[in-house]
Amino acid sequence: MKKYEKKAIGQSGWLWTSLASFVAFIYFFPVLFIILTAFRSRSDTLATPPKWFFTPTFENFYHIFFRSMANSTEYVATGFHMYFFNSIYISGMSVLLALLIGTLAAYGFSRHPLKGNDTYLFIILTTRMLPPIIVIVPIFLIFRITGLAGTYTGIILMYTAFNLPFSIWMMKSFFDELNTEIEDASRMDGASESSVFFGVCIPQVKAGLAATSVFALILTWNEFLFSLLLTNKLTRTMPPAMARTIGGEINVDYGLLAAMICLFIIPIFLITYLLQNQLLRGVTFGTIKK
Amino acid sequence: MSTIELQHLTKAFGDLIAVDNVSLKVEENEVLCLLGPSGCGKTTTLRMVAGLEVATSGDIFIGNKNVNNLETRDRNLAMAFQFYALYPSLTVAENLANPLFAENLSSEEVKKKILEVADILQLRDIVNRKPHQLAEGEKQRVAVGRAIIRDPECFLFDEPLSRLDVQLREQMRGQIKEVLSDLKKATVIVTHDQLEALTMATKIAVMRDGLIEQVSSPHDIFAKPNNTFVAGFIGTPQMNILDCNIIEINSSIIKLKILEQEVQIDFITPLNVNKNDSYFIGIRPRSFELVDNNASDNFSGKVDLIENMGSEILVHIKINEFTFRSVQSRSKNLNVGDIINLKPKKGQVHIFNKNGEVIRNE
Repeated sequence: MKKYEKKAIGQSGWLWTSLASFVAFIYFFPVLFIILTAFRSRSDTLATPPKWFFTPTFENFYHIFFRSMANSTEYVATGFHMYFFNSIYISGMSVLLALLIGTLAAYGFSRHPLKGNDTYLFIILTTRMLPPIIVIVPIFLIFRITGLAGTYTGIILMYTAFNLPFSIWMMKSFFDELNTEIEDASRMDGASESSVFFGVCIPQVKAGLAATSVFALILTWNEFLFSLLLTNKLTRTMPPAMARTIGGEINVDYGLLAAMICLFIIPIFLITYLLQNQLLRGVTFGTIKK
Repeated sequence: MSTIELQHLTKAFGDLIAVDNVSLKVEENEVLCLLGPSGCGKTTTLRMVAGLEVATSGDIFIGNKNVNNLETRDRNLAMAFQFYALYPSLTVAENLANPLFAENLSSEEVKKKILEVADILQLRDIVNRKPHQLAEGEKQRVAVGRAIIRDPECFLFDEPLSRLDVQLREQMRGQIKEVLSDLKKATVIVTHDQLEALTMATKIAVMRDGLIEQVSSPHDIFAKPNNTFVAGFIGTPQMNILDCNIIEINSSIIKLKILEQEVQIDFITPLNVNKNDSYFIGIRPRSFELVDNNASDNFSGKVDLIENMGSEILVHIKINEFTFRSVQSRSKNLNVGDIINLKPKKGQVHIFNKNGEVIRNE
């Protein structure tokens, strides 16, 4: 009997699986390399060809927080924990604010459309079409004049504005997908407009809130340019702080940089991991029959 | 007093007039069905009564009180929605309890009411399930239950049975009718299904393009349609509406030229029609008698197509390139190609003028 070779639809064999794994490995390789570098000693880091087997060390991680400065042999605190805190605080606050304002605005755009609603939405989107560098000069001047430069409030407001268009668009699509009959039903049941919003709509767009906050968080967490120009020594976030560590020196300490990157990706990785179920639901929203 | 009254109610969406000067009255213990094809403004009318849509002009009275400026929650109405609108995250019992929150009842009273409604609608076994675990018919019953759990002034139903399959629909029709007759309130049901309207309503309002075409009892709307639209919309299979010319008037007996055939029809009472004018004649497919001989009072034509309808057959008869339809018993043994003679039953022929309005002498 001839062997039945055709596979059922929806199944892939080992060949495709291993091919996909190979592509995935290419993507992941730089990250793996960075993680390995973080645990190498200074001499191992610079070895050519790269050393794949070495004695791991936490030296680089220690140096993030305590380092000898200039010619001194004394180890002093670098204040890096502050930048770490700044990143968490600033991106957390701005994502929360953007989510709050964005959700309210999206609900408005979805349920109480303005005259020329689509034009407004398009204008909101156009603010994201330009690269940030174009507006950085006027924004820098505004921040200088208003005294917002270098303050937490300033950079948080900046990032909120930066995240808002995306939050509004994303949340609007979630509200648009909801069955408005449920809202009408709760009005018939005696609910006020605010309880319709908080009690009926918000619980139904949890997945949307999760997806929007993760995407906004990733954008904010990685943002470099605004932070570089609009924060000072005390309010600086991680990306420009890392850049300062490597910049200016003749010999870049790659081990130190790799260790910083490892710390840098942990929070965002954790949050994305924790919210992955919600995220999947968020991304596939609307593709499944209600 | 549980009544609903609409006076000159109009709703415009930009240039589109969805509801045009509608006036209606629903008395206590009356079930009014708003019947019409999709997009005729019936749901918009219902939503205006509920306060979910704001009227462009006109007045709405509920229990003789003008409610134009009242919010939905202050109108004291209950409504069942087309897509059931159950809260996805709440159980059946919690869904049923929702309308009671505004009434500040004790938890025992709430529980008592839930069980009461669950008994009426046979939901006892499923009160702890969530909507996604329910069958379509159960969801529908929960939606009705949520409407009747309170003691509102009036009830509104928006296409309550449209999502059910035929068998379930038949069953639920009876059940809802029973529940409604016990409640003794003014009720408005929106539907596009004439069978639903004919069985559940005590009064039917047929709508087209935002206008009310006719308001009558279910029997009258079927037997005495006011115009060709109502005549064609109500009744399955659809009424045959044919062009005709009057050749001769002899008191109640009128000789007409229909599809190139001269036919004499007895209208029982004399009609206000003119000789040589053209009119529309309407005869339902079930209003034909099969006769043996071709006489002056019947049509003669060739059987073109036969559709099976179970115990009956729908016969398409071709006369001079025109087709009309007649329902006959299967036992008549008709075959395609047969020449048959059909006599319209006495008193079941409708005549309309060229504007589509019925001509009737009462």
